[in-house]
Amino acid sequence: MTGSGSTLTSLLSVSSLAAAWLLFGTPALQADEELVERGKYLIHAGGCVTCHTAEEDDAVPFAGGRAMESPFGTFYVPNITPDRQTGIGDWSDEAFVRAFWDGVNPSDEDYFPAFPFTSYTGVARDDLLAMKAYLFSLEPVAKANREHDLPFMMSSRRGAGAWKSRYFRAGRFEPDPGQSDEWNRGAYLVRHLGHCGECHTPRSRLGAIRDTHELRGNPDGPGDEKAPNITSDPDDGIGRWTLKDIEYFLDIGMLPDGDFTGGTMSAVIEDNTSQLTSEDRLAIATYLKTVE
Amino acid sequence: MLKKSVALTISLTVMLATTLVAVADTAPEDAKVYRTSVMTTLRGHVGAASMHVRGLVDDNGFLTAHAAGLANGARELRYLFPAGSDVDESEALPVIWEQPEEFQKAIDSAQKATAAFSEAVAGGDKAAIGAAFRDVGAACRGCHDRFRLDTD
Repeated sequence: MTGSGSTLTSLLSVSSLAAAWLLFGTPALQADEELVERGKYLIHAGGCVTCHTAEEDDAVPFAGGRAMESPFGTFYVPNITPDRQTGIGDWSDEAFVRAFWDGVNPSDEDYFPAFPFTSYTGVARDDLLAMKAYLFSLEPVAKANREHDLPFMMSSRRGAGAWKSRYFRAGRFEPDPGQSDEWNRGAYLVRHLGHCGECHTPRSRLGAIRDTHELRGNPDGPGDEKAPNITSDPDDGIGRWTLKDIEYFLDIGMLPDGDFTGGTMSAVIEDNTSQLTSEDRLAIATYLKTVE
Repeated sequence: MLKKSVALTISLTVMLATTLVAVADTAPEDAKVYRTSVMTTLRGHVGAASMHVRGLVDDNGFLTAHAAGLANGARELRYLFPAGSDVDESEALPVIWEQPEEFQKAIDSAQKATAAFSEAVAGGDKAAIGAAFRDVGAACRGCHDRFRLDTD
């Protein structure tokens, strides 16, 4: 009796374990899924899909092909699906991290700053690896990248190297201990992952972001649009907006007076900020309210 | 009886002619001013409705009025862009008149979204109201993306 009782207990334990495995998967699988899910969120926070997807309505997300016109020529954004030949399927973790931190491709060639590594350099390694895990969970798309269309003096990646050595400083985000966690989260999202300054901060003649003019607006924004001043200035910026106004704008694109944004920011709302948690949008607002 | 019918026909013809003359005579500047006024009204309704939708102010039964105002304004959109009314630093882009079918689609989606929002408000379900308002926002942005000058 005791023997059959313990057998029954063992059987029950085994079947409970099996049921748990079926229900929840192995811990490793679950961890992978969580990593992919976190990566998906961060990919949205990084605004990756907006640029890495072609303009056509039926374009496959992340398969590249979008033309980005700039004063320095037209850049064609690459395929970042995990296709081994045409995408990033062959990239190691290290190669992926270095692209963001140092602005180089796996062959050690310098990126042009059309890829905003100047902001992404501050993104944490764990976040980058989660983003990679998400991208690698997608269906590979075989779609060859198109060569950039650049004037002669810009056509060499040596030019990109020279630009970087003069204007680019690699470095991770350092939280400010004098500020709240919310402010620091907002600063991380605005300055680095969300790379807001790439459009909203004016640039020098050679395309360097003017750090002393953070988020003060850029008359030569993307797609011939003027990117507005989003500092806390009450007249030129968004100083009169409440935290809730900013949070709601980032959620649905409505300005405090009931108007709706259009153009590039509309895509940012759609692909990036509306996908964030309300807490993260409020963190962004908290940080923006302190930018002078 | 015949006299009455003739009189009625004449009256209707005169009324119709007067209306047509009035429309034909609308100055481009006036059309642009009128458009701006309607758009400003819409903006006011959107701003007010958003405060209700977010639960920041008491409804007092007036969300219905703002939703109706939006739906009515959206129904009027198709009449607000007569050819030649892109005057006086108008924010209306030429593509409105170059691709009238595309513009009509954008207007249709605004009309559909605002009508659905009005219905959702009448239904009273908060989640449905929130979702319908989000769709109104998407329709507004969709139109502004392509057809309005970005002046931010």
